[in-house]
Amino acid sequence: MTSAVARGGPGAATGPAGPSVAARRAVAAAFVAVLALAWVVSSGRVPAYMLPPPADVGAAMWALVATPVRAVHLGATLAHIGASIAIAFVGGAVLAVVAHYARWSAPAIHRRLGPFLSAFSGIGWTLLGVIWFGVSSFTVVFTIVAVLLPFALVNLREGLLALDAELLEMGRSFGRRRGAAFLLLVLPSLLPFAAATLRIMFGVAWKVTLTAELFGGGRGLGYVINVARQDYDTATLFAVIAFIIVAVTLADRLVFGPLERRTARQFGGRA
Amino acid sequence: MSLARRPGSLWLADALVVVAIAGWAWGARSLPEFVLPGPVAVGERLLVLFTDPDFLVHTVASTVRVIASVVIALLLGGGLALLARAVPVLDGLISGLLQPFLNAFPSIGWAILAAIWFAPGHLSIVFVQVAILVPFCLINVAEGLRQVDREMIEMARSFTRRRPRVLAAVTVPLLLPYVIGALRIAYGVAWKIALVAELLGSTSGLGFLMLRAQGSADITTVLAACLAIVALFYAGERLLLDPLARRFAAR
Repeated sequence: MTSAVARGGPGAATGPAGPSVAARRAVAAAFVAVLALAWVVSSGRVPAYMLPPPADVGAAMWALVATPVRAVHLGATLAHIGASIAIAFVGGAVLAVVAHYARWSAPAIHRRLGPFLSAFSGIGWTLLGVIWFGVSSFTVVFTIVAVLLPFALVNLREGLLALDAELLEMGRSFGRRRGAAFLLLVLPSLLPFAAATLRIMFGVAWKVTLTAELFGGGRGLGYVINVARQDYDTATLFAVIAFIIVAVTLADRLVFGPLERRTARQFGGRA
Repeated sequence: MSLARRPGSLWLADALVVVAIAGWAWGARSLPEFVLPGPVAVGERLLVLFTDPDFLVHTVASTVRVIASVVIALLLGGGLALLARAVPVLDGLISGLLQPFLNAFPSIGWAILAAIWFAPGHLSIVFVQVAILVPFCLINVAEGLRQVDREMIEMARSFTRRRPRVLAAVTVPLLLPYVIGALRIAYGVAWKIALVAELLGSTSGLGFLMLRAQGSADITTVLAACLAIVALFYAGERLLLDPLARRFAAR
């Protein structure tokens, strides 16, 4: 987990020898083509509820964004994830900062609360949330926040531990205002870790959100796949999975990856 | 660490845990048992989970399946990472396509697909857990392979031409810390996230037990199962993973 920031060093580049990028792409493309062909051929032979034909899945994917009812669920899932990441990030940051500056609280936070939260099962939170808060968006957000919080805590702690003591000392020699030092030195140094934390949280959030929505929420893509499962509508199930894989991969490549690299380059220094 | 030299903040941390449990007991007194049972009731049920044969079946089933899934996922993920390294032309397929695909695949998606494709049983559950865990192992072992010092390998090659020997004497020892890292992450994810496999089409395991108990508003069992998972997670970390990590730590 901690190596997320260190990626992209000189050792990370693939060796000079070996096949060209074009050859690697060709192999990957050929594999996908064979897989697609196998899908088309076999989907006619097994029942559609086990393996729906590609055309059905395409239609279901289109329905996901084009049908207002479905689009509402899509929006609900995005709202759950966005809210949970924001709450868990702020909560984890507050705990990490408190543990860092109020030393006496560090063992309570890092050796009792953190390990407890990171060992608690996500399904457990969902089932408890349903009992305590009913089937609702609140239960879903509660579950995701509980699962994400330890990730934020551990990663931001790493960032605070990696703070450059000499840099802070230099800062103090220029001014005595601790607030200014925090704003101008500590926060920028933490940015690469914040970016890496967000990236990890985004990945984990998608893993638990659908489960939480299926068992604890009346809205969202988890609800959609639950209905699809009961109706043996496997095409919709495939469509939701395909949509998530595309969305997560695109967001990781286009938003979180570049964000992490930019902050690491600009503020990382030793990372 | 002797008791006298134990720092005060650690005592404070433990005191806060006691306060939290006392607060729980106090809060539970004014709430009905199906909303929040007291710590004593949950503790008793927790004990039952590890002693009563009817419950022990579930605890053991989950534990055995978690261990099996982690081992299989490590072999598969590590094998894929090694394959991408050994046959560079496959790298685009494995790390460019397969890894993001598996990594982004929603865990509940695997659980539903397995319920549709396979007969319910241990194999179906292990399949789901392995599918969830493989990307974590793949990413960690691949990262380790990237970090392994090329010059060390080159030096080793100058001493011998036998590749298996280089692999056994240099590559594997350098890689071990990453393999243990993969093991640690996979083990944690298995207990925390992959237990979802036991919610659909299963008749055993702590996940199944929790869902059934929640259905009958038996929150004492839900909480006890949650704490059992925390305890099992820790037992594995302390008794197995920490000693392994100390033994094979990066030198």
